[in-house]
Amino acid sequence: MKQNPYAGLKKVILAGMILVPLIPFVLVLGIGYYYFTTSLENNTIASMRRIVQDHRQMIESFLMERKADLEFILNTNSFEDLSLPDKLQRTFENLQKESHAFVDLGIFDESGLHVAYHGSYQLSGKVYDQAPWFKAVMRNGFYISNVFLGYRQVPHFVIAIAKMNQGRRWVIRSSIDSQIFNDLVKKVRIGKTGEAYLLDAEGIFQTERRSGGPLMRKDPDRPKYGPVHEDIKTFIESDAHGETFLYATTWLKDGSWLLVVRQEKADAFKALRQASYLIVLISVLGGGIIIAVAFFLTGRIIRRMERMDQEKDQLDEQLIHAGRLAEIGEMSAGFAHEINNPLQIIKSEYTLVEMILTELKEKGELKQSEELAELEDSIDQIKLQVDRCAHITQAILQFGRKGEPLAKDIDLQKFIPEVTGMVANKAGVHGIAIEQEISDQVADVHGDLRYLQQVLVNLLNNAIDAVIARHGSSGGAIRIESGPAENRHVEIKIRDNGSGISSENLKKVFTPFFTTKPVGKGTGLGLSVCYGIIDKMGGSMAVASQENVGTTFTIRLPSAK
Amino acid sequence: MEAMKIMLVDDEERFLATTQKLLTKKGIDVVTATSGAEALETLKHKYIHVVILDVKMPGMDGNDTLKEIKRQFPLVEVIMLTGHATVESAIDGLKSGATDYLMKPTGIDELIEKAREAFRKRLLLEEKILMAQSRKYMKSPREILKQAEKPER
Repeated sequence: MKQNPYAGLKKVILAGMILVPLIPFVLVLGIGYYYFTTSLENNTIASMRRIVQDHRQMIESFLMERKADLEFILNTNSFEDLSLPDKLQRTFENLQKESHAFVDLGIFDESGLHVAYHGSYQLSGKVYDQAPWFKAVMRNGFYISNVFLGYRQVPHFVIAIAKMNQGRRWVIRSSIDSQIFNDLVKKVRIGKTGEAYLLDAEGIFQTERRSGGPLMRKDPDRPKYGPVHEDIKTFIESDAHGETFLYATTWLKDGSWLLVVRQEKADAFKALRQASYLIVLISVLGGGIIIAVAFFLTGRIIRRMERMDQEKDQLDEQLIHAGRLAEIGEMSAGFAHEINNPLQIIKSEYTLVEMILTELKEKGELKQSEELAELEDSIDQIKLQVDRCAHITQAILQFGRKGEPLAKDIDLQKFIPEVTGMVANKAGVHGIAIEQEISDQVADVHGDLRYLQQVLVNLLNNAIDAVIARHGSSGGAIRIESGPAENRHVEIKIRDNGSGISSENLKKVFTPFFTTKPVGKGTGLGLSVCYGIIDKMGGSMAVASQENVGTTFTIRLPSAK
Repeated sequence: MEAMKIMLVDDEERFLATTQKLLTKKGIDVVTATSGAEALETLKHKYIHVVILDVKMPGMDGNDTLKEIKRQFPLVEVIMLTGHATVESAIDGLKSGATDYLMKPTGIDELIEKAREAFRKRLLLEEKILMAQSRKYMKSPREILKQAEKPER
């Protein structure tokens, strides 16, 4: 099999062509992906932190403002003034101008007695000295409660501030409508699923969660947020529904409220996912292209190598052929030489016989008879056959000729038309047009004029025979071209549109004694002699042919100068 | 006119015999030799105009014999007979002083024709030599005596 020597090579080339670009390709993609994802993750987390921070500030400032509003009332009014319902009502109206979040306003004395109240309920007169919020405000000076529904079943929380005034301690308390507060926290939107909400220390929702989590319910994910911590914490966790979220948390109000901002991981890292898809797409496409190109190029390289190998094989074959022809030439020359001696004797003997016969006839010792005529005919045959043998040996010796013949420079521009003229008559009879195209660039060649003439005449005669065989006596054409060739050579081409030579015979045309003509019509030496002559002139001869299209003989000879 | 004397030199004895017969029948005086050495020996004793010499012979081959003949007997015309139709062996012969060459197998008529040509050349040469000598003799007749002491050819 011809394919085998290349199978291993093909694998190596293919592997090289795929791996060499693929490795940097994968590395670049991999490194790019790694840095891109890392920075994207960091960015996403950083922006989460920023949102949490902003939000905390916003919530804290809301609470501070409300607290400041109450402190302002406390500082600008006396306990006695505010205990009057009219005054309290006016103060409340002013307060509502500051913020609609205030729902009611109440004044308590030291003992927890609700001294005055302005709001939708009649609460004054009740004593709160045992209520946890009252204890806390008396202890700390202020208190902000968690969200609760209270008597009204409306979510709200209270802010209470205590003040020392003229030797007595009193408290002002206001309920804050948590709806406004709720909206404030809830309005955070990040991507599709980003949300913010407040929890108290036990995990009860202080504001609604957009993705489900009504007020006052317990967030089942509370344990995941861990104990009270400083600053902002970010982490990725699955919630109770199994969705994975990116969380950012921070504690407010000295660890009593937890602000949670979270976004579904898939949503938060959407760009990351898109980048991954893109990278996969590029990998597949790029990899595919690399592999396809590698296959394509490898195929081309291998085909090219195969063709070169074939050409080399052909060249080898031609060289072997030429070598074989040279061997045959030498052998047959020796053979012809040895045959010539006996031929000489036969010829002499024949001459003697003929002479004696003539003498006998002249003397009248032989009468004319049928037998005599037969004898004479036989003797003539001997002469004929000896001459035929002599012709063959001469031709063989020419084919196997050694050394340089009587050489001189030959001007092809003059020489070729002369030779063509020799066969023009024969060609004309058969209606064959002989065209000549001899370049004026063609250089002289060095060689024996008679031999080169013999070669050209031989080739032209062959061409004429081939044309007659195909076309009869019209439609034939022979073309002689001559011009310079590379490496200071001259080329002579003889082209005919005759019957052509089968590819099988084409290999043998230069072999001595190969002929397609009937016995006695050709010796099969013509072309081998031509080959021998051109070879000795330092040139080469080649043939190309296609059956029923024509034949081209190409002679290449070195230039004389 | 002096009759032409030919010597045939070839290692093929049958060829010599038959050709001798043929030439004799044509009225030509022929001697034969089967080797170069024999040919040289014969030339010492016999007066020969033209030698027809085979190129390829065992022992002393045609070209060697030719050189020896030309050295010893420069006036003898030699025609090379070659079985090898290579022009170069003929050229070698011509360069060494052969008059002409014949290719085997050659016809008797061709052989005779070439021999006659060579013979005519020989006669012409002899004539010139004679003329030159006679001029010399006319200047100094004593030369004849001197010349007579040396055996000619």
